[in-house]
Amino acid sequence: MAGAGGGGCPAGGNDLQWCFSQVKGAVDEDVAEADVISTVEFSHSGDLLATGDKGGRVVIFQREQEVPILKPMDLMVEASPRRVFANAHTYHINSISVNSDHETYLSADDLRINLWHLEITDRSFNIVDIKPANMEELTEVITAAEFHPHQCNVLVYSSSKGTIRLCDMRSSALCDRHSKFFEEPEDPSSRSFFSEIISSVSDVKFSHSGRYMMTRDYLSVKVWDLNMESRPVETHQVHEYLRSKLCSLYENDCIFDKFECCWNGSDSAIMTGSYNNFFRMFDRTTWRDVTLEASRENSKPRASLKPRRVCAGGKRKKDEVSVDSLDFSKKILHTAWHPVENIIAVAATNNLYIFQDKAN
Amino acid sequence: MTCKKCKTANGYMLGKGGKRKFDEHEDGLEGKIVSPSDGPSKVSYTLQRQTIFNISLMKLYNHRPLTEPSLQKTVLINNMLRRIQEELKQEGSLRPAFPASSPPADPLGSSYREAPPAFSHPAPAPCELGGAAPLEACLTPASLLEDDQDTFCTSPAAQPAAPARLAPPALPPEKDSFSSALDEIEELCPTSTSMEAAEATTDDPKGDSGGPGAQRPEGLQDGRPDDPKLMDSLPGNFEITTSTGFLTDLTLDDILFADIDTSMYDFDPCTSASGTSSKMSPVSADDLLKTLAPYSSQPVAPSQPFKMDLTELDHIMEVLVGS
Repeated sequence: MAGAGGGGCPAGGNDLQWCFSQVKGAVDEDVAEADVISTVEFSHSGDLLATGDKGGRVVIFQREQEVPILKPMDLMVEASPRRVFANAHTYHINSISVNSDHETYLSADDLRINLWHLEITDRSFNIVDIKPANMEELTEVITAAEFHPHQCNVLVYSSSKGTIRLCDMRSSALCDRHSKFFEEPEDPSSRSFFSEIISSVSDVKFSHSGRYMMTRDYLSVKVWDLNMESRPVETHQVHEYLRSKLCSLYENDCIFDKFECCWNGSDSAIMTGSYNNFFRMFDRTTWRDVTLEASRENSKPRASLKPRRVCAGGKRKKDEVSVDSLDFSKKILHTAWHPVENIIAVAATNNLYIFQDKAN
Repeated sequence: MTCKKCKTANGYMLGKGGKRKFDEHEDGLEGKIVSPSDGPSKVSYTLQRQTIFNISLMKLYNHRPLTEPSLQKTVLINNMLRRIQEELKQEGSLRPAFPASSPPADPLGSSYREAPPAFSHPAPAPCELGGAAPLEACLTPASLLEDDQDTFCTSPAAQPAAPARLAPPALPPEKDSFSSALDEIEELCPTSTSMEAAEATTDDPKGDSGGPGAQRPEGLQDGRPDDPKLMDSLPGNFEITTSTGFLTDLTLDDILFADIDTSMYDFDPCTSASGTSSKMSPVSADDLLKTLAPYSSQPVAPSQPFKMDLTELDHIMEVLVGS
């Protein structure tokens, strides 16, 4: 359930003073593909932090009792699979979500979502299948899926066309018909060749309360009220200055980058990554946002993070970074927020940064 | 009435020598240049569309991509190509045979009003798609502009740049990297469906016409005749039928080679600085800087603010016109 969110003080935005805590990972400029962090997540209680990399390694960090330092657990440096669930997916799996019943979980790939029982490894139940009979007709794929945090029969999945479908497994065993369909009507004034691509949802996350969900598309984060399908209740611009660069970003494939997003424990703030090792936080109550950077230069113990600014055009002020000098190879795709406290984990390519609020 | 935006851009993008010619061009296009508030001019719209079209094709048909094949990416790129193709079809059907002497405003103006900026709205087009000629015309921005402006990249595209060259050799007759890349997706987990789809695959391409289209399935069959994975269920099938259907009305020659001034590629900020190779190479800050450089250049007059609302390809055009 929603935690106290950092001792009652408003979380996120400018009310907190984020400080560097730790960084894990090699310092080399040359990063091996296998070392790239591909996922970061806190455990439900927040005692553990798991990271996975493209080489298939899982590292779990545990918090020490007195000192708020995360150190890797010795017993699990390279996880070997406990159970192997083989050959259920033809395409790349984009999501895994454990159900609130703690008995089942779902796995989603581009065209299908399967339901598994944790104890049964040799078969799964297909609950969503959007593969057309004729693949030539395929124009849309599944991009992310997640179970509702409390209602174990409810799940959502997003698509490459910017739509989100909510399915209730009680209504039909095969969720080929959705219970709810979320889509924001396109803004004709901002339409471009790239409208579809930038509308593709790269991540969907329910709020801890279960009342909202958040979607990440290429340029923005949107918060949806589950009771309103017609449009999101909030839209936060992550890096709108990239809108005029979409052609280049299409050419170099950056436009296909899949950024994730996350909620803080009290659902009062949301966080997502950007380029140049920047990440963004939005405070939903004060409507303030901040851009911070995960870099080795700013990595002195308990050093406060200074808000960063990107100059979109015109005269660049001191300390601003111009759009043209952004490093698009330094992308923060994965971030995680501790379920209760103001501690965040930010994956910058092969480095894992931990930041926490000064008050912690 | 002249396009304020073009004029401003012209002011700092062109040398003194080029300015006059561009003004003439500007006047000629007067009828169809929309004011800045309405979006990019027709010229830059067509140019951008053509560039994106080419980039999309190169993405699909490039030799072995350095990154993992992604169905999502493939689908999105295909959707892009389809949309552009649809738009071109409608423009082709709206416009009568493109007479050299006719004022440029007419044929372009009507289609411009119909098509941009949202190419998902099909224009009412009762007439059928004409023969290859009007289609060629609407595919090549250079030929569109040829009549009203000889400053704009009209040099005969004798030698297409390397990126353009990638596609035709890649297609027939050997198995191209795209379908093999998609095969990899299938190879992760071969399922029983791949055999059903194999039958479907053999049926589909035969119905298609066109050179590259018909060739590819044969090429694939020649390449790996005994490999069931070749007759890939979804990705292979998807790729073959989509691309052949897509190319039925036009050959790649029409799209890529006809009248395109390849100097565009040199100036195109949308391609990497190397211009020709490894579109899929990892992005570095430098690469992006180089690609972004042409339209982030300092204004001639330092006091003139850089207008970020100009599309990237407006700048290509200005550079080209100035060259």
